Amino acid sequence: MKPHSLLRTIGLASVLAMPLTSLAQTPNAQAEKIYRLSLAATCANCHGTMGISVPRVDIPKIHSLTAEMIYDQMMGFKSGKRSGTIMPQLAKGYTDEQIKIIAEVLGREK
Amino acid sequence: MNRRHFLGQGAALLGLSTGLVGVSRAKSLKSAHIVVVGAGYGGATAAKYLKLLSDNTAQVTIIEPNANFISCPLSNLVVGGVEKIDALTTPYTGLEKNHGIKMVKDSVAAIDAQKKTIQLASGQSMKYDKLVLSPGIGMMMDKIEGLAEANKAGITLQAWKAGPETVALHKQIAEMKDGGVFAMTIPLAPYRCPPGPYERACQVANYLKKNKPKSKVLILDANPDVTSKGALFKKVWAEEYKGIIEYRGGLVATAVDAKNRSIKFEVDDDVKADVLNILPPMSAGDLVVKAGLANANGRWANVHYLNFESTAAKDIHIIGDSIQIAPGMPKSGHMANQHAKVLAAAIVCELSDLPVNPQPMLTNTCYSFVNDRDVVHVASVHQYVAAEKTFKTVPGSGGLSPEPSSKEGLYAWGWAKNIWADSLA
Repeated sequence: MKPHSLLRTIGLASVLAMPLTSLAQTPNAQAEKIYRLSLAATCANCHGTMGISVPRVDIPKIHSLTAEMIYDQMMGFKSGKRSGTIMPQLAKGYTDEQIKIIAEVLGREK
Repeated sequence: MNRRHFLGQGAALLGLSTGLVGVSRAKSLKSAHIVVVGAGYGGATAAKYLKLLSDNTAQVTIIEPNANFISCPLSNLVVGGVEKIDALTTPYTGLEKNHGIKMVKDSVAAIDAQKKTIQLASGQSMKYDKLVLSPGIGMMMDKIEGLAEANKAGITLQAWKAGPETVALHKQIAEMKDGGVFAMTIPLAPYRCPPGPYERACQVANYLKKNKPKSKVLILDANPDVTSKGALFKKVWAEEYKGIIEYRGGLVATAVDAKNRSIKFEVDDDVKADVLNILPPMSAGDLVVKAGLANANGRWANVHYLNFESTAAKDIHIIGDSIQIAPGMPKSGHMANQHAKVLAAAIVCELSDLPVNPQPMLTNTCYSFVNDRDVVHVASVHQYVAAEKTFKTVPGSGGLSPEPSSKEGLYAWGWAKNIWADSLA
């Protein structure tokens, strides 16, 4: 699948399946934004605020990854296809929908 | 679920748990003054994320007596002489410079929850609309007879809040004779940093093995068994520190005799040692206890977990080590940082008349150094369970390292540098 179509799929899926993220504009767009940022902020302790790591650390950097790459890696950790130290254990704590949101928030544009 | 449903659920949950949503507010986000007390992992993160999640519109003041943040995580490396305290020290300037947070170098002497004011140690008083308390832990010195006096005499110290005591404890170990005994008592859980004492034992043993190989480390644990990463630590003790570390569980320390350098226990015989690292039972930070907010057995603060508001006082929120924990929730710096983000989002939403997230998530990651290079972790993910109004670990998630590794040693330093930036920069 091409990046664009997957991103669209993720986007569309969240509209259909994730009511928390599908709120329209107006005050509730603000609530949605805070919800999404808060969820992604659970990653920031290790990967940096908004996924931007400080320089010269050995934790894998995620801010250079696209949303679909983050989504794929997280789903790989969750399913056991991808090995790791701590991430397979953490990825299993999130729903697929939460992983989509995190990927959308932290992934770089295209 | 549609938008109305989401709002309905959020409002219903909050209505049940805090009664805040739907109640008219006196202040909006822009005009409210949010005062954060304590700039450790919890308070600093709360202040920063209040700014980030409000698009920099919230007015946030931090009350903190120290000029620098000193990390407790990794401070056992200083106790063991592997690192200097400077490597764990970050000035507080980033919060002011990067986020416009007002830093007041002071501490809080008293809280008036009715008038919504705090009295600072300097005498000044300050009004708040929302008060966030993140004072860390308190040491229940009176639970161990003679401990306060032994501390005063410079015989014992805790070094359980990183800083000068951390450096002083290393000095005591460095000055100990070869063949001496380092004894550490551990209080019954819950206490700050469950694996911390066992990591400390490793670090002290690592130092002694290289510098004073005839010496011993005695772990005298009030808990019946190692409370965190037990199998991993025991394997390291049996292999890497064979003949140096001795673990004894179920020993409740009751008194310390500074003159004879001995520790007394409920049942067991006295233990004499050259260096005494006595960790008494712990409680919420002194401010929380003094303000009457430690309403769980007079020791910890009960909070509503959706917004970390005290169950004892409106508009006072408490995060970090001071709270009565949810099941499986450790008292750790990482967890305090995660509390802070849930709290910041909730306060921004409340002050903006927006529904508070009814499904917050928390993670915990804790790395322990077993020597100067190799590390083991424990990790967990916690979800809010509305039906029980508490956080619970997500089934199937979390876990431990299979064994110590230098790769996780590098990750531990990466974690530290990123969480320091996430909290302070």
